[in-house]
Amino acid sequence: MMSRRLHEVPRRAFLKTAGLAAGTAVAAPHVIPAKVLAAPGRKGANERIYVGHIGMGGRARGLYREMGPLRERGECQSVAVCDVDEKRLERAAKEVPGAVPYRDYRYILQREDIDAVVIGTPDHWHGVQFVHAAECRKHIYCEKPACCTLEESKAMIEAARKTGIASQIGSQGRSQPEAYLMHRYLVNGVIGKVHWVECFHYPSPVDTSHTPDSDPPPELDWDLWLGPLRSRPYNRRYLHGVFRWLLESGGGQIRDRGAHVMSCAMYWLGADGTGPVEIEATGTPPNQGLWDSAVLMNVTYTFKNPDWKMTWTQMSNEEIKRRFPPEERTGDEPGGRITRPGYGAVYHGEHGTCMHWGGDGGTWVEKKVRQWEPPAGAKDVYRSPGHMEDWFVGIRTGKKCIMDIEWGAGVANLCILGNLAYVLGRKLRWDHASWQILDDEEAQRMISRPQRHPYHL
Amino acid sequence: MEPKLTLQSLLEKIQSDDPDVRTAAWLAAGSVGASALKPLAELVAHGELEVGRAAKRAMWRIVRTAGAPGQESARRAVENALVDLLSESTPDGVRREVLWMLSEIGSDETVAAIRQIPGILENKAIREDARCCVQRIPTRAAVRALADGLEAAPEDFQLALAQALRARGVEVDKAKYPCVKLVPTKETSVKPVK
Repeated sequence: MMSRRLHEVPRRAFLKTAGLAAGTAVAAPHVIPAKVLAAPGRKGANERIYVGHIGMGGRARGLYREMGPLRERGECQSVAVCDVDEKRLERAAKEVPGAVPYRDYRYILQREDIDAVVIGTPDHWHGVQFVHAAECRKHIYCEKPACCTLEESKAMIEAARKTGIASQIGSQGRSQPEAYLMHRYLVNGVIGKVHWVECFHYPSPVDTSHTPDSDPPPELDWDLWLGPLRSRPYNRRYLHGVFRWLLESGGGQIRDRGAHVMSCAMYWLGADGTGPVEIEATGTPPNQGLWDSAVLMNVTYTFKNPDWKMTWTQMSNEEIKRRFPPEERTGDEPGGRITRPGYGAVYHGEHGTCMHWGGDGGTWVEKKVRQWEPPAGAKDVYRSPGHMEDWFVGIRTGKKCIMDIEWGAGVANLCILGNLAYVLGRKLRWDHASWQILDDEEAQRMISRPQRHPYHL
Repeated sequence: MEPKLTLQSLLEKIQSDDPDVRTAAWLAAGSVGASALKPLAELVAHGELEVGRAAKRAMWRIVRTAGAPGQESARRAVENALVDLLSESTPDGVRREVLWMLSEIGSDETVAAIRQIPGILENKAIREDARCCVQRIPTRAAVRALADGLEAAPEDFQLALAQALRARGVEVDKAKYPCVKLVPTKETSVKPVK
């Protein structure tokens, strides 16, 4: 068992963090004595947070790197890494010196010295691992989308509430500097009441490889990779990375980038905690291959009280270039060049429109939004110190994170409902209060997907 | 509006060399209905790779068309055709797929059919998918089947059934049938790097 050491956090860094927390609706003093913050189950400002990393593939390694500044400031230490691929695990052990490698994440959850986990596994594991980690009282950063089923999203919220852990879903678009500008612009009603958010994205790919099933490679624990999913023969087109293009494990573009672009909309419009009443979807499936997520797609979400709609459209790259050309930017200004122009959203209000490109780790807003000067008396909004940093504020103070699971689950629900309406080929009616699909028994059953024993909620 | 297809033209087009023809065919399969399930299942089992994939998608399309509100007679016909495919003459891979189809639209007829599969509780190839199917069917008969299964199951399948019952809101003796979801089981050979 690792000994618990106190670590002196640089005072300037701590004050900066505490001051940012004070800028939110949460009542936190500017200088918070460690003994006050160190509530039961919560570490004080001067204590180092010990972190376990569940999943150490592509994006998960990015998350580890994004924690670099926190490690350098001595705020945390990565003490465990986990992956079901031994080659990846071996690489992770080298990249995170001193960390104990595990194949099975549940060893990490058993360690009492570990305060927090970063979940960077394929999406079909998120719900189960999040709930298990919450039940073991670990604070959680979980990569988006939060989950794959509506049953999981509900269970995740309940588990987090019951245990009081700090949770952050990795829709980091909310925490970007220009997201703050767009949020402020919309909240101050510059374009009036928004009645339509028009999200756009380029298509999902088609698997043209004609790859047959085979034996899994020796380094891979296929059973553990599948986890909650039903058993099936191995096919290399399920992983790594490309799990994204299967409805059950990744959900396609809508559940990948939708969890970013729609996350921004829900946050900026103050719609977190609400849900649509109707969902309609059409799409074009891939014409071959293992992957089954929609290549092109149109989804319409209708919200009531207040009345507005959000659309998600996957269209050709040519159409995106024609309809949503990226703004000219020099690259010298804050935010730099728009490097991800292939997705974003247009906000249609009573008095005009505004738009952004990207919406994840890169979020770029229109010039008029960037240049808008708030008049006297204008409302200000929360300015995130960074997505990881915001999570750490949540861990130390109990402040609700900017993408707390309650909000993350709501956004995941949008993505899930969009895909559900697409695969069923019919309009769905959703009751957010009861978390149910109305008047459609098959769709209602698909709220959950029974999970393979013992990898279940 | 999906174009109407005959059974014969559906099967011909599903076996086309042209991926666009196959795709148009499976997208329109819903209108053909229950009669197509058995021949499509044959293609899933024995067709060329992409033909089998298209056939499987056609089966799912039929299931989801029949599962729409107001389609009770079509749903019943599709359920019956799927239940017939649970027989031992169907390859296990197809039976597993069929069980998941039934999980979306099956009724107590499905529950009864699963209970009657010879040796189902010992059949490691399909029993977990069957358990998931029954767990998803929202009837009392489904819960009874899980409870009866728990009494009769071999030891290595009891905990899965116990968990299915818990998922359906039934209290199960924790001492006798513990929940093992948090118990790690898989060791690595990778060593820490100092």
